[in-house]
Amino acid sequence: MMEIAWIVPLFPLFSFFFLLAVGKKMKETSAYVGILMTLLSFLLSLAVLFDRLGGSTYKAEHVWLTIGSVKLTAGFAVTALNAWMLVVVSLVSFLVHIYSKGYMHGDERFSVFYAYLGLFTFAMLGLVLSPNLLQTYVFWELVGLGSFLLIGFYFYKEEAKAAAKKAFIMTRIGDVGFFIGMILLFWQVGSFAYDDIFRAAEDGTLSQTMVTLTAILIFIGAVGKSGQFPLHTWLPDAMEGPTPVSALIHAATMVAAGVYLVAALFPLYEASETAMLTVAVVGGFTALFAATIGLVQTDIKRVLAYSTVSQLGYMMLALGSGSYVAGIFHLTTHAFFKALLFLAAGSVIHAVHTQDIEKMGGLWRKMPLTGPLFLIGTLAISGVPLFSGFFSKDEILVAAWTHGHVALFWIAVVTAFFTAFYMFRLFFLVFGGEKRHDEKDVHEAPAVMTLPMIVLAVLAVAAGYVHTPWFGTFLGDWLTDGAYAHETAPGWIMAVATAVSLLGIFLAWLMYGKRSLARDWLSSRVPYTYSLLWNKYYIDELYMRTVGYAATAISLLLSYIDRFVVEGIARLIAATVHTSASLGSRMQNGQVQMYGAVTFVGLALLVVILAFTGGYL
Amino acid sequence: MSSVSLSVYLVLALILFCIGLYGALTKRNTVIVLICIELMLNAVNINLVAFAKYGAHPGITGQIFALFTITVAAAEAAVGLAALMALYRNRKTVHIDEIDSLKH
Amino acid sequence: MSGEYLAFLALALVAITGGVLMLNLTKVVHMVIALVFTFISIAGLYVLLSAEFVAVVQVLIYSGAVTIMMLFGIMLTRHQEEEGEKTTTGGFWRKALTAIAVFAFGIAVYLGVYRLDFGEEGARLHENNTEQIGMALYSHYTIPFEIASVILLVALVGAIILAKKDDEGAPKS
Repeated sequence: MMEIAWIVPLFPLFSFFFLLAVGKKMKETSAYVGILMTLLSFLLSLAVLFDRLGGSTYKAEHVWLTIGSVKLTAGFAVTALNAWMLVVVSLVSFLVHIYSKGYMHGDERFSVFYAYLGLFTFAMLGLVLSPNLLQTYVFWELVGLGSFLLIGFYFYKEEAKAAAKKAFIMTRIGDVGFFIGMILLFWQVGSFAYDDIFRAAEDGTLSQTMVTLTAILIFIGAVGKSGQFPLHTWLPDAMEGPTPVSALIHAATMVAAGVYLVAALFPLYEASETAMLTVAVVGGFTALFAATIGLVQTDIKRVLAYSTVSQLGYMMLALGSGSYVAGIFHLTTHAFFKALLFLAAGSVIHAVHTQDIEKMGGLWRKMPLTGPLFLIGTLAISGVPLFSGFFSKDEILVAAWTHGHVALFWIAVVTAFFTAFYMFRLFFLVFGGEKRHDEKDVHEAPAVMTLPMIVLAVLAVAAGYVHTPWFGTFLGDWLTDGAYAHETAPGWIMAVATAVSLLGIFLAWLMYGKRSLARDWLSSRVPYTYSLLWNKYYIDELYMRTVGYAATAISLLLSYIDRFVVEGIARLIAATVHTSASLGSRMQNGQVQMYGAVTFVGLALLVVILAFTGGYL
Repeated sequence: MSSVSLSVYLVLALILFCIGLYGALTKRNTVIVLICIELMLNAVNINLVAFAKYGAHPGITGQIFALFTITVAAAEAAVGLAALMALYRNRKTVHIDEIDSLKH
Repeated sequence: MSGEYLAFLALALVAITGGVLMLNLTKVVHMVIALVFTFISIAGLYVLLSAEFVAVVQVLIYSGAVTIMMLFGIMLTRHQEEEGEKTTTGGFWRKALTAIAVFAFGIAVYLGVYRLDFGEEGARLHENNTEQIGMALYSHYTIPFEIASVILLVALVGAIILAKKDDEGAPKS
């Protein structure tokens, strides 16, 4: 089956083109096209995965471009990582396709939405199949395009438009880093293929400085895509898109592309201590940073968005700590439970038509399915034992500890505490307490919406068991081809992780569930910290005041230069041509004297030149 | 020795030539244009005769040339005037700026 | 200051004055008359240059024949000229440009000729000038002389044909 893995991305691509062509006529039936195509993708991915479980890496490449002596190849590779990502992406995409049928019901541009989803899924699947950097970059940009289109799906809303632009520009800043890194690698190695790059990094063709430089440059790309500090600001704003999009793109798949990129280039990063440290520090800082912001936000999707940023930071921390497996493992579990959380949030929004958690509450009884499903996701992300998040987070903590990043380890622990706290704050505010919204007829979502959630909930619990210290580390063994050595971590790490998450839950319960603690007992004590968090550390404002204003000033300057200098030159040229043309045509007036005069003026000019230069001009 | 040298004659001829040229290029009446051309030819004649006396090889040849020039100039004036007559019959004008059939 | 020099100055002055008057007068007939002065003073210059025969020819042909012919031309083509009618063509810029070009051309040529002096003088030219010309013309320059007569004949015939009223055939315009 691995030989035909390249077909996997083609199904959604077909869906995209097909819906683009005839979607207008099909209206909501276009959902079935999308669902069917992603289902085929998913089934084929599964088949590829099972094939890969027993087999070895399959790689097919063809020469795509020949420039001089340089041959650029294109193809696909089925490594363990690729096969795994293929399944995760196609599964989440498939479920989101189903879910969207209910969520987007009645939207005028229903088929367009499905077409965009198809485009995005194609790009994402293509991205994970790419065997070289160039191809990765192409799909990387396509993924960005899909994200842009879907964030701006409600383009008649100013916020959505701005958010789409912001996402595109912020990720583009990262992409520039990625691009420069990629070109540097090509310059040094002479090939875009991952294998060649790893070989060069290993045998010293690449100098140590160059390895560090390129690794960090490519990491900048990952920072942009995965919403890591300082390029994270686009991700919360991207929540202006439809909620299924948030689930698919801004939680499960695209933002994980950055993590995937670092994982795919892991040997390159391993060759440089500095690069690894950079990844770990950025990841750890982002995890804590985003978690603190998440503590005080009141928009349900924004809380989830900051939680996503925080969890992505976790993954980066894992990768930076040298635990490739932990990063991918957390990526997988996070994809499931975060998609679940977003879909459940979408279900809630669908029911009460608001995103403000202050206006929700008391939904537990009204939504008998969504409530428990959301709870499962919350438990998973909080790292409560036996749920998937517990195992993956534990793996990351162990990796940070054994790798000697003590400070980062404690940062991760504190982040875990915050995560548990704000997730349960969210849960209690939305589902607990009494009703605070004015929606009369709150009803459970239709089956097309709950069904994918149920599947994801099952996965959110079960996905953890592919890699546990208790029952065996299947995923790790397989991803590393059996070379995985689970470091015997001190048992207390697991205990600490459990304790902090339970503590966070308990505190949230005290404040928002039981309300024995006033909600503002802490925020009233540290008002400045609260407003700092509420305003997301003023990062957006900071960017606006510095980069934004600087860019505006430069643009103004350039626009004036354009208006007066460039256009002036253009006008001058046009006027010159025009004048000489009219002058020339005025000379052709048929009068002999005019012709004689012109001829003589020319002759006089020649004579004068000759007289004053002696003929040597 | 004469105090009038060659260059003085040449400069005089140059001035007359320039006057004739300017007139030929700007005058409106075709007859005047023709006569201006005669003036230019006269300026040339002065040169020829001056060279005949003060040139590198003084001799009668310059004067002979001047005579030929006068002959040809007279013929030119006659033909030019005849052409002018024909033109006047057809266009009822002697103004050179109204004769612009070259444009078409 | 020799007498020859004075004579030259006077003749040159008359010649240039005639030319300038030709440029500045408004009536066509006056212009032609002004040029007669120039032609006659040029004849005088020829005398100064020991070319008596050429001077006589100049007076006969230019001051006499050509000028009279031109006056006839003017009279034959005369139409109702209004007072203050333009005597020149083109606008100010064209005239200015032409003047500048003529002036520049004059300066350039002047730079070439104002020091020109070969230091020789044909001292014997005035002795039996007509005879010398006749000898040269009928011995050394016979063929050009004949050709010149042919040219005159052609010009004569051509002028008659051109000026002849072609009533027959062509419709009157």
